[in-house]
Amino acid sequence: MSWLNDIDQILLPPAKWEEIIAHCKRKLAGDFLPGESRVKRAYGILAGVQKGRVLHVQLVLPVKKNARNNEPLKTYMDTVMTEHAVPSTTPLGQRGWITDPEELMGCYDLCDRENLQIFGTYHMHIVPWDGDPIRDTPTLLDTVLARESNLFSFIISMVDIENPSMKAFFEGVINREIPIIIEKHPAQDS
Amino acid sequence: MATIIIPFPFRKYTDKHREVTLTGETLAEILDALLKQYSGLHVIHDHPGLLSIFINGKSINGGVDQWNEITVTDSDEISLIIPIAGG
Repeated sequence: MSWLNDIDQILLPPAKWEEIIAHCKRKLAGDFLPGESRVKRAYGILAGVQKGRVLHVQLVLPVKKNARNNEPLKTYMDTVMTEHAVPSTTPLGQRGWITDPEELMGCYDLCDRENLQIFGTYHMHIVPWDGDPIRDTPTLLDTVLARESNLFSFIISMVDIENPSMKAFFEGVINREIPIIIEKHPAQDS
Repeated sequence: MATIIIPFPFRKYTDKHREVTLTGETLAEILDALLKQYSGLHVIHDHPGLLSIFINGKSINGGVDQWNEITVTDSDEISLIIPIAGG
């Protein structure tokens, strides 16, 4: 049940794309919801249905809680990030996102109830790097964290907040990109 | 006996089954039976600190050494959750 060889493209309705971008912009603006981790980074889950060789995104699930500094997850993240993250002046404890297990269980339950498959997770890159001004591809850290996940990593470039873009990479591997088409599916016309 | 809910990313190891019903009196016995039936699920032990177990939606505290002491019943639903992470 790996999508890598079975999928040609991912269809994203414009309304779902707008939901994703609204989530990113809200977090960047520091407008946090009750119970939401107060960090200016957005993390979420995309789910939907597979029809033939196309994945149709039908549900955007913003994830509220970053369990990054909760043990034992903190130790795991610190270890992985120390080894693989690009050096930064931002303290380690303020970098990276790992889902709260209970919240994730709720997301899985919701998708099962709705008969939706989880396609992957999204997060944004906001700072341009030397030689990588757009930041629309996974970092080494993204690849390590997505290893064996059987999920797509959706990377949103928010470097230019007025011109965001998103790409999908199976298990966060840069040469396993599947194109995303942002358009309304004919079956949704009515 | 109890029912184990397989998280979506791991269903590739369980022939796409969402749930698996297994015989056992304790959590340890149930998980042993699960791994014997679906050997690919041994990946849950790749990062032991990441695995969270819920029984009927309630988090189970304690590590592997305590799984032998947790009894399960036919009506129990066990969820295995490994958090997903990003940079």
